[in-house]
Amino acid sequence: MSYKNFFDPWIILPTILFAIFVVPVVWIISSLFGEYSDNWTHIYNYTLSNYIYNTIFIIIGTSIGTLIIGVGSAWLVTTYNFTGKNILEWALLLPFAVPPYILAYTFTGLFDSYGTANNLIRDIFSLPHEFIFFPKLRNVYGASIVFSFTLYPYVYLVSRMAFINQSRSIMEVGRTLGFSKFKVFYKIGIPSIRPAIIAGLMLVLMETISDFGAVEHFSVNTFTTGIFSTWFGLYDFHTAKQLAALLLIVVITFLVLEKYSRRKNRYSSGSNVFGPIVAEKLRGSKNFFASLFCMLPVFVGFVLPNIQLAYWALNYKLEFFNEKFITTAWNTFYLAIITAIICALLAVIINFSIRYKKNKILNILSSFLTVGYAVPGLILALGVSQLLVFMDNLLFREYLDFVLTGSLVGLVLAFIIKSFALANSTIESGFLRINTRLDDVARTTNTSGWKLLTQIHLPLLTTSFLTSMILVVSEVIKELPASLILRPFNYDTLAISTYIYAAEERMFDAAAPSIAIVGVGLLPIIILSRLTVKSRPGYRNNDSHYQSY
Amino acid sequence: MTENTLEIKNLRHSFNTDIEVLKNINLNVSRGEIVSILGPSGCGKTTLLRIIAGLEKQTGGTVNINETIVSDSKSFVPTEKRGIGLVVQERALFPHLTIIKNVAFGLKGKKDEKYKIALDLLKLFKVDGYANNYPHEISSGEQQRVAIARAMAPNPKILLMDEPFGALDHALKSELRDETKKIFKDNGTTAIIVSHDFDDAISMSDHVLIIDDGLVAQEGSAKDLIPITRKNSFKIA
Ligand SMILES: Nc1ncnc2c1ncn2[C@@H]1O[C@H](COP(=O)(O)OP(=O)(O)OP(=O)(O)O)[C@@H](O)[C@H]1O
Ligand SMILES: [Mg+2]
Repeated sequence: MSYKNFFDPWIILPTILFAIFVVPVVWIISSLFGEYSDNWTHIYNYTLSNYIYNTIFIIIGTSIGTLIIGVGSAWLVTTYNFTGKNILEWALLLPFAVPPYILAYTFTGLFDSYGTANNLIRDIFSLPHEFIFFPKLRNVYGASIVFSFTLYPYVYLVSRMAFINQSRSIMEVGRTLGFSKFKVFYKIGIPSIRPAIIAGLMLVLMETISDFGAVEHFSVNTFTTGIFSTWFGLYDFHTAKQLAALLLIVVITFLVLEKYSRRKNRYSSGSNVFGPIVAEKLRGSKNFFASLFCMLPVFVGFVLPNIQLAYWALNYKLEFFNEKFITTAWNTFYLAIITAIICALLAVIINFSIRYKKNKILNILSSFLTVGYAVPGLILALGVSQLLVFMDNLLFREYLDFVLTGSLVGLVLAFIIKSFALANSTIESGFLRINTRLDDVARTTNTSGWKLLTQIHLPLLTTSFLTSMILVVSEVIKELPASLILRPFNYDTLAISTYIYAAEERMFDAAAPSIAIVGVGLLPIIILSRLTVKSRPGYRNNDSHYQSY
Repeated sequence: MTENTLEIKNLRHSFNTDIEVLKNINLNVSRGEIVSILGPSGCGKTTLLRIIAGLEKQTGGTVNINETIVSDSKSFVPTEKRGIGLVVQERALFPHLTIIKNVAFGLKGKKDEKYKIALDLLKLFKVDGYANNYPHEISSGEQQRVAIARAMAPNPKILLMDEPFGALDHALKSELRDETKKIFKDNGTTAIIVSHDFDDAISMSDHVLIIDDGLVAQEGSAKDLIPITRKNSFKIA
């Protein structure tokens, strides 16, 4: 690399971007080395242990839940044929469309003492008013259940891929060595895909500890609720940052474990010769229980919350399309599309730069950029707010006004950092499918980089571009904490109005925006299920789509 | 003739269709004998091995191992109880276990004893230097040596090998073939080797079986078969 490269636009741009991505995070972490206020001492002495206890409890509960549901259903679906399998195979992804906070809201509507489910039980068995069948869910148990049923698809997806790619011969050789079918499953089947399972589990845990909406609704104190109340209750920005830094350290640990497991998984995906997957047909009670096992998570994580939402919407004669809803939906949509276009364009430019310049440093930069998804929304909000204040001071000091702070810029920036990885994985695999011979031919005819990109690559990337936009849109629409904090005054999005209604216990009003969020969330699942089919052995180039999931 | 380790009588098989993959197979393998099975692609060689291993249940006929029925219309002994060893072309080493643990996997008993047996086998196949490596760290020829060692470790009644040398290059192949034969003969191993390759069959086995169209087309000792097959210019798929 020569000094000339420093002035090359294909290199400068990604570097600036990198700085914008990294500065907020560095700011947060550096707060740990600053002063500690009285608030910190108070939190340290009285509430921190509670945050830690709750967080650990939820991590353990959610791990157990997602592993049992995710690995179990993936294994059933790949090795057996049972009633409804073909539908369940993709239906198991549906809970991806329901963000944890929406499941939490519907669960309280269903299972609170006078919620739908308890009322129903009382009505059916004509029991007294005091009778409560379903226990309270507004606690760490409830939170673990909510996370398990909304996030298990991460584990399901990776284990299913791993089971599909697992050589059938490995299991068969295991049997000839004297192990029964079930023993082979847990002595070889599970351990040999352990890295894949861990990678999926780490994604679950990153989401779990980033969550704000669900734990807040259940009044479970964790780091995120602590950060929020320190910032907006005590107005202590600095202490909030210090709490955020602690949380970030945990996130980074999970992230490193995830990357490490993924690398390890590449080695352990055994042989390159595959026997066809011959699923065994189950009969009788085995068939029944297999169906039930796979149906339950779809029911609890998708069907049930939607029934409750529909019930609210219909029973309270909800005006679905009132003016407020339309404004909110438009705000959300507009924001999501802007973010999606910017993300997809950035991903195209960066991937093109890497391909065109064949530059190692760019490659490393880009892999750093893709870890933005791991940063909890709340922490992003902290970092981005500080960045904006800094920029305002720098650029607009003479107007003595905040220009960037409280504008859409902060929100879009946070969303870009959060969803760049999604856009990138799709665009990256899109580029991989374009034969590099095309580039060589272009070079020999002395085509410029710009012309190569716009006239050859872009037309070939149309599908990837749209796919990446859809993924980003659905991510942005679901996002709650960063939206809540960084939004311009009175600028409501679907997620925010869901949150506000739920906070006021006006569940029936929360139904319309929730249904809209779930509806948009279904789009990427449709894409994902199509890709999953294509990514069977023989279509192996496609699996980079999963890498970021 | 000595006692038969494997006896197959009137074996038929079809996969949920009208097409019979195996029509009427009869085969006897006596103790310590090495038998090769040849035949064009898709003629049912793998299917035959899978039926012997109990990974597939045949439509008709009987399979006996050591003079006891392991599979007929009435009874079925599951794979793990048949005492067989399996080696496949793709090697199928357990990716999450070291080489020595792979070989020791099927052994019962104390850890030290298991590892000693495993290490001795690795020495025999000249891969003891990799005992603590993982499968992806060694070459495919070495992987195949480990796979054969692993299958032999529990001292199976019969070793089933499905194109064990198929993925190796020519020089490596003949070397491993000769070594394996010597080890089998020293050890008294009974083995069935499925192959595409005449050289494999001729150099390794006492007895050769050629399957075509679901039937045994030709059968005989390796020496007898050479002129016949050459003359018929049997096509190797
Ligand atoms: N599980 C199965 N279901 C249906 N048909 C099968 C199944 N397994 C094998 N077959 C069919 O049975 C026939 C024999 O297959 P088999 O794999 O035994 O052949 P082979 O002789 O081992 O071939 P090759 O030399 O290519 O390995 C083929 O036509 C194959 O398509
Ligand atoms: Mg075969």
